[in-house]
Amino acid sequence: MEELLRMEHISKQFAGFYANRDICLTVNRGEVLTLLGENGAGKSTLMNILIGLYQPTEGKIFFKGKEERIESPGQAVRLGIGMVHQHFMLVEAMTVFENIILGDKNSGGIFIDRDARRAEIEALAGRYGLDVELDKLITEISVGAQQRVEILKALYHGAELLILDEPSAALTDIEVEGLFAIIQKLTEEGKSIISISHKMREVLRISDRITVLRAGEVVTTVKRNETDAQKLANLMIGHELAGSQYEKKTKSDGQTVLKLNEVKYHEHSKHNGLAGVSIEVKAGEIVGIAGVDGNGQTQLAQVVTGVISPEQGALEIKGEKISVSDPSAFIGRNVSHVPEDRNLQGLIGDMPISDNLILKLTDSAQFSRGKGMFLKKKEIRSYAENLTEKYDIRCTSVEQDVRSLSGGNQQKVILARELESEPELLVAAHPTRGLDIGATRFVHDQMIAARDRGVGILLISADFDEILEMSDRILVMFEGQIMGEFSGENPPVEEISLAMTGR
Amino acid sequence: MSISFVTNLILAAIRMAVPLLFIALAELYSERAGMVNIGLEGLATVGALAGFMLTYLTGNTWLGILCGALAGILINMIYAYATVTLCANHTVYGMAINLLAPALASFIYRVYFGEGSSLMQITLMQGIGIPVLKDIPFLGTLLFNQTPMVYLAVALVIFTGIFFGKSKAGLNYKAVGEYPKAAATLGIPVIRTKYLSCVICGALAGIGGAYLTTCYSTTYTEGIVSGRGFIALAAVIFGRWTGGGVLLACLFFGFCDALQIRLQVLNIGIPYQFFQMIPYVATILVLTVVGSRKAGPQANGKPYRKEER
Repeated sequence: MEELLRMEHISKQFAGFYANRDICLTVNRGEVLTLLGENGAGKSTLMNILIGLYQPTEGKIFFKGKEERIESPGQAVRLGIGMVHQHFMLVEAMTVFENIILGDKNSGGIFIDRDARRAEIEALAGRYGLDVELDKLITEISVGAQQRVEILKALYHGAELLILDEPSAALTDIEVEGLFAIIQKLTEEGKSIISISHKMREVLRISDRITVLRAGEVVTTVKRNETDAQKLANLMIGHELAGSQYEKKTKSDGQTVLKLNEVKYHEHSKHNGLAGVSIEVKAGEIVGIAGVDGNGQTQLAQVVTGVISPEQGALEIKGEKISVSDPSAFIGRNVSHVPEDRNLQGLIGDMPISDNLILKLTDSAQFSRGKGMFLKKKEIRSYAENLTEKYDIRCTSVEQDVRSLSGGNQQKVILARELESEPELLVAAHPTRGLDIGATRFVHDQMIAARDRGVGILLISADFDEILEMSDRILVMFEGQIMGEFSGENPPVEEISLAMTGR
Repeated sequence: MSISFVTNLILAAIRMAVPLLFIALAELYSERAGMVNIGLEGLATVGALAGFMLTYLTGNTWLGILCGALAGILINMIYAYATVTLCANHTVYGMAINLLAPALASFIYRVYFGEGSSLMQITLMQGIGIPVLKDIPFLGTLLFNQTPMVYLAVALVIFTGIFFGKSKAGLNYKAVGEYPKAAATLGIPVIRTKYLSCVICGALAGIGGAYLTTCYSTTYTEGIVSGRGFIALAAVIFGRWTGGGVLLACLFFGFCDALQIRLQVLNIGIPYQFFQMIPYVATILVLTVVGSRKAGPQANGKPYRKEER
């Protein structure tokens, strides 16, 4: 088979850390290569290099046998590389036709020759079975149709290599089948495809070869017929069973602090919804929610902290049924929350450390007179100074703006605020995301200490190692559903990793 | 009410609409590339001064108009650099232009002509009648016996309609205002288009200002633009971001302006200040009715950052 693309020893460095390191891969004409890897494995960075959004720090790219420096997306298009982004690059206020001819360099002239362009597009669409209505606005067509427009657009611009980023992510099951048929047709006609995915089902259906990435490096490249789901899952997650350093409490006899019964929220949205989730968290245990990002974890965290209300199903806190969701009511019931985006939801960046630490306590008699009318600055200051010491928050003064702290120290500020309010339930979403080893260790130690004090903890994390390390019980989430429950002691890693991919 | 009253009213409406039209088209080109520029008032003011001074010095109104355009471009480059290159807030820098430019214009005027000097005057641009057509009764004087600037404005509206409606370049230009990232992935030069939009905006707003001194009022006075920059903003919304729509909106606002002057002279016992309010009240009313509906370029006013980690 003829080689279309070869990437040789590609590395990309961002401020000291490698997002890609020494990556080599090839794509032949008429084949589907899948890039398989977890979030942060470096798939997107690599593809952004290929379409000219990023420049590689090192390495060479050969396309059709010629070395190319791809310096802009426009150049990638001219070479014949087209990408269908996960978030479609379609102008909603324009028609399908206009979106396809946007940026057209193939045809000359000042004006749009509608009839000629239409004929070209319709011929292409017919050839590849891409059924689209050219005169509809983008807002008027389904997500599946939008994807077909994106593919047609890339083909119209002369793509020979198509990059599909999580192509089935937003599609219904029927649409996914349609997509597979289109992919089949494309490769039969000699087009090549790079598909980015972490869904085992589709990886095994469509790929000819699979390149597995982990932590920015290529683990291996395997042929489809020489592997199976289990082997791929192991390669992708790359666990080393070191065993947890924390003692697991598999038999918690504490009171139930959180109970979800068949909770539903935007049930049919596979990636941003909950399709009947039942969870129970007892005092003094850590329940870990494992799963690839974007399978409803965000909505789960928001439901159990009162940010959004469930559409169906029951939610109980300490045995008490909650009918109206409202964050302050949850705080009043001693629910603490370490949110997934610390800058957006956890902290007010332009306020000092001290003020961020008392955000939930501004009305208390401890820090204010007259229910928050006048703040007791002195008390706040000394309280904050105590906490910065206790939680090892490294700062020059408690008057320092939170924004100027490092990520790890910001997270410690949130942790201090949330744990000092003596919660009975702590909801921690990705609590160590982006933190270095030291800070991660500190956060973990604090959470274990809280558990031992009798706090029930719901830990949501896309970091599989963190789940294995911390959880007393492990639940796996996939497309808004709980795929299974596993013990946190000697967890069956292979089963869990398979469940994460929907098997 | 006599025929001549109506003719005069419509004539005046057109005269009032033309500067508004230039300024509103300036904003249309700006917003189509996603650049909300509320600094039109300031741009038009420097345009008015530059147009006046060049005409005063050379006696040539065309040079005045040209210079007005250049002055508008020059000042608008401050806005362009801050908002496109530095990704600063569009509203803040538009406002900055509104504060800076009129003050600068007054400063230059006083330094050059001296304080307290009697008002300098220039001769206005002459109207050109189009042979034959101008002799059509009623319509002739109305449409075909105007200054070349009026014809230029109409031509510009037609050009704008064709550019955005029919041409490839116009489609690509619009994509920048709707979804710059998508445009960039197709090789459309986003940054360059945004700068281009600022050049067009500065030029047209400057011409709109220069029209006021060279075709309309014979003198430069402080506050000569008198809110037209803001009414033009409303006209773009009212006109649904299209050339033809903007033309109709400007005629409407021009009509309001012409009407209020007529009503003032009628002397019917209502304080004239109430009549002066008409264009502005009309603007507010139109915005309440039309402005609430969601429309316009989607990435309007949002800074475009090239993707970086």
